Amino acid sequence: MTDILALCTVTDEAASGDELPRALLEVLAAGRQLADQLGDSKLRAVLLGPDVEGHAEALIHHGADEVLVLSHPRLEYHEADVMLGTMEAIVKQSSPDVILSPHDDLGGGNVAPRLAYRLGTGIVTDCTGFVVESDAIRWLRPVYGGKAMAYMVASGPVQMATVRSRAFEPLPSDPARQGQVQTLEIDVDSISAPVSLVEKTQEEEEGISLDQAQIIVCGGRGMEDTEGFSVLDDLAETLGAGVAGSRPAADMGWVPHSRLVGQTGKIVAPNLYIAVAISGAPQHMAGAGASKTIVAINKDEDAPIFKLAHVGIVDEWQNIIPSFNKACKELLSS
Amino acid sequence: MHIVVCIKQIIDPEIPPHVFQIDPVEKKQIRGRQVLVISLFDEVALEVAVQMKEKAGSTVTALTIGESEAVEALHNALALGADEAILISDPAFENLDSFGTARILEAALRKVGEFDAVLCGRQAGDVEMGLVGPFLSEKMGLPCVTLAANMAPADGTMRLRRPIEGGYEVLETSTPFLATIMNDDSNVPRYVSVRGLRKAMRTEVPVWSAADLGIDPAAVGPEAAQIKLEELFVPEREIRCEFIEGDTGAEKGKQLALRLRELKLI
Repeated sequence: MTDILALCTVTDEAASGDELPRALLEVLAAGRQLADQLGDSKLRAVLLGPDVEGHAEALIHHGADEVLVLSHPRLEYHEADVMLGTMEAIVKQSSPDVILSPHDDLGGGNVAPRLAYRLGTGIVTDCTGFVVESDAIRWLRPVYGGKAMAYMVASGPVQMATVRSRAFEPLPSDPARQGQVQTLEIDVDSISAPVSLVEKTQEEEEGISLDQAQIIVCGGRGMEDTEGFSVLDDLAETLGAGVAGSRPAADMGWVPHSRLVGQTGKIVAPNLYIAVAISGAPQHMAGAGASKTIVAINKDEDAPIFKLAHVGIVDEWQNIIPSFNKACKELLSS
Repeated sequence: MHIVVCIKQIIDPEIPPHVFQIDPVEKKQIRGRQVLVISLFDEVALEVAVQMKEKAGSTVTALTIGESEAVEALHNALALGADEAILISDPAFENLDSFGTARILEAALRKVGEFDAVLCGRQAGDVEMGLVGPFLSEKMGLPCVTLAANMAPADGTMRLRRPIEGGYEVLETSTPFLATIMNDDSNVPRYVSVRGLRKAMRTEVPVWSAADLGIDPAAVGPEAAQIKLEELFVPEREIRCEFIEGDTGAEKGKQLALRLRELKLI
């Protein structure tokens, strides 16, 4: 029996709504797929947060066979040291064969790598897929800014991997699925945290979040200034879309860095991605390439973006966006 | 305050896809005529260190593991504002995994001696695993702050600011500590002047070998690696772009809207 642990953390803010964080559902989907391919396996979700018992059933419905729950006030702010100490204790208790975590700031950037080091085991980060072979799991992940892909293997007592955002589609909730929910006993109070959180400022961002957006309008260097971006804001309003920028656009301050799409920013995968005045550099496409449909508007017909886009227009964006916006308005109001 | 920045030299990642080539046997990118650069997040980490130097009078040391040409990355680091640079180089240090890299960096940091902060980029711009920083912190038992964008001393401790969705966190740690650095508005790397670079090229860069660091090559080489790249390939893309034509931009804009409606995308 292969025992797979999937790390699922739920913040206070997210816990107040009904929706579970997408990253958590994605890691469950990856775990389910792995368990089914390995056969004779059990997917156990580790559910951590300040007050998370209420979500356990939902994790079963989304693919877990069992849920290990731990609620503790110290797990509220997702301090990495506390999460790491907690996970280390859980792994000692349950000795899993595989540990999966979302490749988010907390899990992929901090907790999972440090946990791997403490366990003396290899880890492959930011995976988009895997192949199960008789002697190993080969983890697939992008390298070189998405210009190439690599199969990697890790050796050690436990198989560890972090799962790239948007690589696995969450499973639809199946209320007929049943499974055990077990409450964990971990001495969270005694975990030492050399790094402490002294301040956290988080504001409701203006506009539609890139994680939720079904449509994203993204501008590049060719937008020329903030006024150019205000034209995209108008279009986004018509379409109910999120606004994003490429790295040059973010470095120029036309969009905040939190709305940068690419290797150095966010990975998005909306239904429709409208790339305006973006050349399609690999480092940008590393963040947008998984979008279902890509529309490109660029004046340079040789721009690499046209090799990756499904629908394209070769022209200055100034000639296109106003009439496109107007036509969208008419279509959407009729 | 002494800040050590660990940097990696990579083939310029900002190249168009059609000149990107790999060697599937060696499982590496082929350099061709591409220039070598400091990996982006490492350059950002250098910028953060140099900003601290300007604010608080710190000393900055840049470290890299590489072949002899990696000295160019160190010259760049010196021109950006680092005070000292050290090249860690040994024929045995080929195809290291993140465990091996962390082990070598640990030995180098012990040889450096006193330091208050170790900065690493959040991930290398080529393999992008993001493991060396966290591994090194664990190996050395240092407090670990990840994905920070800048830092400031506060009453004998260090406060680091870390961008999060819609805001930021401030994290506090004692020194010495290790931080991985990500980019934001505050740390866009400065340009290196030609004069600065010329001056930097005259700076002596010491080279430390496996023997200098007391490292058994067998313990860090490919044989010892726990994370292995088994297969490298360039994925085939089969997208054919459908171009919207029209006599004027206005016509094309309208046609685009109609086509997207047809595809049920808007």
